[in-house]
Amino acid sequence: MTAFDISSDAVCGRDPHGCITCGDEGIPMRVLAVDEERALALCETAGGERSTVEIALVDAGPGDEVLVHAGTAIA
Amino acid sequence: MKYVDEFRDAELGRVLSGEILSIVEPGRHYKIMEVCGGHTHSIYKYGLDDLLPTNVELVHGPGCPVCVIPMGRVDDGIALAHQPGVIFTCFGDMMRVPGANGSLLDAKAAGADIRMVYSPLDALRIAKANPDREVVFFAIGFETTAPSTALTLKRAKAEGVTNFSCMCNHVTIVPPLRALLDSPDLRLDGFVGPGHVSTVVGARPFEFIPADYGKPIVVSGFEPLDILQGVLMILRQLEEGRCEVENQYKRVVPYEGNVRALEVMAEVFELRPHFEWRGLGFISHSGLKLSEAYADLDAERRWTVPGIRVADPKACQCGEVLKGVIKPFECKVFGTACTPERPIGTCMVSSEGACAAYYNYGRFAREREVV
Repeated sequence: MTAFDISSDAVCGRDPHGCITCGDEGIPMRVLAVDEERALALCETAGGERSTVEIALVDAGPGDEVLVHAGTAIA
Repeated sequence: MKYVDEFRDAELGRVLSGEILSIVEPGRHYKIMEVCGGHTHSIYKYGLDDLLPTNVELVHGPGCPVCVIPMGRVDDGIALAHQPGVIFTCFGDMMRVPGANGSLLDAKAAGADIRMVYSPLDALRIAKANPDREVVFFAIGFETTAPSTALTLKRAKAEGVTNFSCMCNHVTIVPPLRALLDSPDLRLDGFVGPGHVSTVVGARPFEFIPADYGKPIVVSGFEPLDILQGVLMILRQLEEGRCEVENQYKRVVPYEGNVRALEVMAEVFELRPHFEWRGLGFISHSGLKLSEAYADLDAERRWTVPGIRVADPKACQCGEVLKGVIKPFECKVFGTACTPERPIGTCMVSSEGACAAYYNYGRFAREREVV
């Protein structure tokens, strides 16, 4: 269900101003749905890009805003 | 967007800029290091240095996870990528970092199966989809990224995924800061502390900076107003003769950090006795490796890694840039032989690298200065 094409051969070119996960800066995302059993959530950026995020480190439910880094919500 | 738009307000930015101007002592030169590459990127992207008085100088620290990777580790990664049956996965920026004989991207062009991922979880997904192949994840980053790797390794263990392993290059932020503060060629007045590393470790680990070195540190966010306010808080401490850890980024950073993240890191990782940093040399207890409990998922135990040590190219001055001794444009090869398209040094690779940020945004300010 990831929106990212993980088989992409290209270098990181999705965001010309900086990769959302490669650097040490997190990005805010909104939680859309939670799979509690697997501690995973479907999240969306302000720009509408969706991805699967680990939420084991935070208490988050649908509608909450989380700070995501390398596919994991850290705050 | 909430927590973003209000921190980009131009009018408030001008107010903060005015407050900074009113607080600085004329004739005194202030040198403030922003530790994190994310701050460097924001400073140039928003032109924040143009909003500061000329006697307030921002210097760039070692907090870009790509920039601090030594060439030898890249070569070790390439050696693993060439093992038969291996799918080698890493973050996009890492693929362009040059080793002694080319980058991971060059190795991919030469036939190695190297794939870019956006998270360790994506690498694990590739392992599950390819049970007859060995999938190696090249883990880099500070304490911001390390919990993500740790959770993925826990998940791999719990799900019994045996064809997944990790080449761990995670580093911690406190030892290089101590090394910088011990460095005789650097005089700093204060630090803009890393925002998202502190989300995980909290602000408490930085207490040694005021206690042992008498310098203020303000953990700050990444929006323009966050950074300006962080600089103002440092200058205010200096004016009032205080030096302490302050937290400008309270909306995200708890003083004690993310306890769950620290627990999972403690379970999965242990400190290496020493780890090599680009330009800074070997720093004790600054790198992480997999703990004994996760040794079976350690790529460096699954294969023999050459352990290559490569001296940085002579022309490259990344080390001095990382220590804040020189500005990116003062490097001999900046913008000529070394560009984001064909980087020689790591600082030109990642968008968070000081040289890449300066090349993309800051050089225009430099051109204005020259005119």
